[in-house]
Order: sequence, then C-alpha cells, then structure tokens
Amino acid sequence: MAARRALKAVLVDLNGTLHIEDAAVPGAQEALKRLRGSSVIVRFVTNTTKESKQDLLERLKKLEFDISEDEIFTSLTAARSLVEQKQVRPMLLVDDRALPDFKGIQTNDPNAVVIGLAPEHFHYQILNQAFRLLLDGAPLIAIHKARYYKRKDGLALGPGPFVTALEYATDTKAIVVGKPEKTFFLEALRGTGCEPEEAVMIGDDCRDDVGGAQNAGMLGVLVKTGKYRAADEEKINPPPYLTCESFPHAVDHILQHLL
Amino acid sequence: MAVWGERLAGVRGVLLDISGVLFDSCEGGGVPIPGSVEAVARLKQSQLKVRFCTNESQKSRGKLVGLLQRLGFDISEGEVTSPAPAACQILKERGLRPHLLVHDDILSEFDKIDTSNPNCVLIADAGDAFSYKNMNKAFQVLMELENPVLISLGKGRYYKETLGLMLDVGAYMKALEYACGVEAEVVGKPSPEFFKNALQVLGVEAHQAIMIGDDIVGDVGGAQRCGMRALQVRTGKFRPSDEHHPEVKADGYVDNLAEAVDLLLQQVDK
Repeated sequence: MAARRALKAVLVDLNGTLHIEDAAVPGAQEALKRLRGSSVIVRFVTNTTKESKQDLLERLKKLEFDISEDEIFTSLTAARSLVEQKQVRPMLLVDDRALPDFKGIQTNDPNAVVIGLAPEHFHYQILNQAFRLLLDGAPLIAIHKARYYKRKDGLALGPGPFVTALEYATDTKAIVVGKPEKTFFLEALRGTGCEPEEAVMIGDDCRDDVGGAQNAGMLGVLVKTGKYRAADEEKINPPPYLTCESFPHAVDHILQHLL
Repeated sequence: MAVWGERLAGVRGVLLDISGVLFDSCEGGGVPIPGSVEAVARLKQSQLKVRFCTNESQKSRGKLVGLLQRLGFDISEGEVTSPAPAACQILKERGLRPHLLVHDDILSEFDKIDTSNPNCVLIADAGDAFSYKNMNKAFQVLMELENPVLISLGKGRYYKETLGLMLDVGAYMKALEYACGVEAEVVGKPSPEFFKNALQVLGVEAHQAIMIGDDIVGDVGGAQRCGMRALQVRTGKFRPSDEHHPEVKADGYVDNLAEAVDLLLQQVDK
C-alpha cells in the first residue's frame, strides 16, 4: 500500500449516510458545513440505477443539504462516462427516470448495451435484441449486479440476474461500473486532482462503500446508520479504517485527526 | 471427402438433434433445412439405427412431431427423446410439485403432474413467457423454499429462429441461479443420463454411436463426454467461431445433415 498522504478529498455516500429515505441523519447538514469549512474537496457518490442526478439533488435540497449537481457522482454517471470514453451508442436498458443522465448520448443504431434496474425492459424480445448486439461484439455495461431488492410486495429481481443471463448466453463478462468497483472510486476522484491515498470514503455499506474504497487505495469509514447491521465491520479484511456512530462523528474524526 | 471421414468407422447408431439440424423454427412453424428431409429418409433406409435427441422444451413432443411431419419428415413420437417426459419421471420419483415457468405449448406434457403448493421450480424454453413478472414469480417461489430445487429442461445458451438468434432457457436458468444462489438440475442435453437413456432405447453402445447437432457445447461436447462421437453441422445456431472453440472439438464439421449422411453411408457401404 502506498504511503498515506495529507487528506485532500472526502467521498460521502448518500442514502443511509447523509439521509435515510426522506429524513436527514441528525446533525448531518451541520456536519457537512463544518467539513466544507476545511480545505478538503467533497464529492457525493452513490449506486443508483433509476434516480437521475436531478432527482437526487432535489431530495437533498429539500432536506436542506448544501450540495451542487457537479459534486454528485453516481453509478449512472460512471456508465455515461464509460460510454463516452468508448465512443459507443448504447441500447439503454434503464429506468425512464434515469434517462436524463444520458441526455445527448447517441442511441440510434446501437453498438453497446447499458443495463440497470429496468423491469419494464426485462422481457424476452428486448433481451433478445440486447443479446444479438452482444454477440456482434457490443460491450455490456452494467450499472451494478444486485441479485434482488426489497419492494413493498416482497423481494424482486435486481439487474444482476439479467446481466448474468446475457453474460452466459454470449460467453462474455459485463463491465460493472458502480460501487464497489475500483474504477468507480477512481472516476469519482477524476477532476479533483487527488490520488486515492489522499481520499477518505464515508458510507453505511461495509462491502460496497468501505471495502470498495479501501481496495482503491482510500481510507474507509463505516457509519452505523442506514443499512448497517451489528458486526458488519467484520465482513471485510482489512477492516474499515474507522467505524463510528454516524456521519457527524465521521466528520469530527476527519477534522481532528486527518487534516 | 474429408480425411476425418475414417473416424466414422464402426458407427451403428445415430442420434439426431432436431432444431437447427432438421429445420429452423419460426413464429407459428418452421422451415426445413435444405436436404434434411431426404437425409433423414436415406438414414432410416440404411442399416443404421436412428433416434432423435432434442432439448426442445417450447412445444410438447406431439406438437413437435406433428410440425416435422407436416414439413415432410419421416418421424414418429416414439423415436424422439426429449426432456419433458424425462423430467416428469424425476418429479414423480421425488415427490416434487413444480411451479412451471414454461410455454403454453408444452403444458400438456405435465397434465398428470401435481402443481399445487409447489416445492420446486421447473423452467423450460418459455419464449415470450419469459417476462419480468413470470421470472419474479419463479424467483419468489424459490426464495420461500427451505431447500430450493430448480429443474431446467436443457441449459442451451441460444438457438436460431428464422428471424435470428434467440435466448434459450440456459440464460434464464442462470439468472435464477444467480438470484437465489442455487444450482439447477439440468434434464436434457448435455446431461449424461439423457444421452445414456437415448442410447439405451436405441440399443447401441456409446462407442458405436454418433451425435449430429448444431450446438458445439450441448450436442458435441455432451455426446463426446459420454464416449460417443459427434459431428457439428454448419446450420442452425452454428457460428464460424465454433470450429475454434477453446474446449470442444467435434470429430468433424459438415455443411449440413445431408453431407453428414453422405459420409456416414459411405462408411457403412465399405
């Protein structure tokens, strides 16, 4: 592991860390202000397959967080930037609400497939179309590979099973762009001028937030809010750099010990 | 004639794949592959024993045979080994009551199977019935079982229809495996039991039998693992890259069933 350098950037997860659904974590707005009072760059990173940046921003504004759109980096942003880098025209198997994040991207005569959580697209004819593109050599870009998620009416299939189906049928591997992929964290830092060794990630998901960030060379701070369950910090090796009660405690630690 | 033709010496029985070898299916029917109707007839007139060995799981055996007869093929139900009857036997033996994720056209094969209060999921090539809603239902049934059992009729990746290549049951089987963390039990090619059953009915030993199919993994690889020889036809789902497959090498590649039968009959006549 590279020698740790002075802290320059802090990455913060959204749902479960700054807020839980439509309620802010107590003291989080004020803690964010204190963090901004120091010299560090702050970025907000989240795995989402259906909420555009605009949706996220509106919710954060309602909760009185002082955040601007260009500070948010999501798995949809990561997919878009990969599409741009590869200069491909994607078939977008994503929720309609995510489409604003792909505004301006050419999608006619597709030669790539981007797949998120999109139950309305996950049926035989559409998947056959995606499959034929992949057989012709189109890359498969997955927002993430979650197995399932919880809906009001019970468990429901996530994008992961459908990504797996396409991978099997075409004997290829998807490029997964969301957390905990290393490239996700590196992309989130792009434009900040910071190296991973100069950054810390704060989140409530031990594997995806903390483990992923630490694999990318950052420090990881696990907060005991959101989806945190007792003993989560024992799920990864090396363990989190720090486990603390909530986002405000994480900020206090950073201000006192890492600057 | 191909040099490898000599490898066909001693063949006494032939297993024929159906879809992609005899015909290409399409919405509402199918189109015979040129030369295949005559090739089947010539094969059956020879001293070679012939059986059809298919993973067809979108239609019942009766519907499939009816379609093939209309296309001019000399074939009867009793000559076909297909996965649904084999699966029914397993269900009965193990007291399994399946939730069926299958096409309407194959439902009749399960007429005598108890499907109330399901304790397993059976998945076949459901075609348009592979909707998110139906996949989710199968997923929920599996997640509620203490010992989830997933039975899949074949595990093909894709097959060819006249409109193009279509995802096969294997892709959807993998989706459910991944979602539930289970491993499916495959009934059909390339499972060795399935080939052995077909050979037993045919009455020949594996080393005397040859499989002819368009699937390099399911037909060719599966048959070879059972000790049979296998030819891949360049029809159906065949893709040129199959001839350089990293794991499976056919005993020979032929343009179509007609060429395969020419070679086989030349060996028999020697």
